[in-house]
Amino acid sequence: MSLEDKLKKWRKLEAEAREIRRREADWEFIKKQPARIRAALKYYIEVGDIRGAARMALMELEDFRELLRKANVPTIV
Amino acid sequence: MEYAIADTCFLIDWALWKRRDVIFDLFKVVFTPELVLREVRSERTLEWITDMLTRGSLALFTETPDILDIARSLVERSRMIPGLRGVDLPEAVCLAAGKLRGYLVLTENRGALMAVDLLEELRDVKVWRALEVIAEALRRDIIKTSNPRVIFKEYEDETHHRFPRRDLEVILDELGR
Repeated sequence: MSLEDKLKKWRKLEAEAREIRRREADWEFIKKQPARIRAALKYYIEVGDIRGAARMALMELEDFRELLRKANVPTIV
Repeated sequence: MEYAIADTCFLIDWALWKRRDVIFDLFKVVFTPELVLREVRSERTLEWITDMLTRGSLALFTETPDILDIARSLVERSRMIPGLRGVDLPEAVCLAAGKLRGYLVLTENRGALMAVDLLEELRDVKVWRALEVIAEALRRDIIKTSNPRVIFKEYEDETHHRFPRRDLEVILDELGR
């Protein structure tokens, strides 16, 4: 499989995961969060980049993972 | 494989599962890089790690200069391919250990999975997610059940992790149950 084909496959998987995160997220919970946390959660839902989102939230990785559970955002890998 | 090396994303989810100790029936030793250990904060995860370190099932992996050189190069390379999610140093250390020492890499980090798929220098590195670990435990009857689907569901419920449906169905089909 060429690099382009592999990237296409990953893009499709990313899109599917993003749809599930969007659908299952507890948006009421997310809306109640402070701006920085809200932005980080939205970034995670859209991109799935947990380290980037944790940095944005100024949180440790494991604490951010716990926040995702509270916000009902699944990690899909 | 006798040896595995686990990254932070894998450990912090895996530690939540009630059957988490089955991993030590699959591998003689599971290494965890010092960089990864520094990222673990919760009492629950730290207690489990400490317990396993005491029993010798888990071992600290000290990043040597050769591993760090490769890891830093992977971090940079992963950011040079548009569309490839960047790999950070803790995951890159695990991948470098997979490449140089032949350890199986345990990860729930999509960047690490993509890197192995897309970077030629990692083509021989074997990577498992929790999905593959549980599947292997079922194959070897380390977890005994007549309904594997229930075991995967249990993991999902307890960790709030979601297995990609297609991958899960392929494994359930292969398990033939």
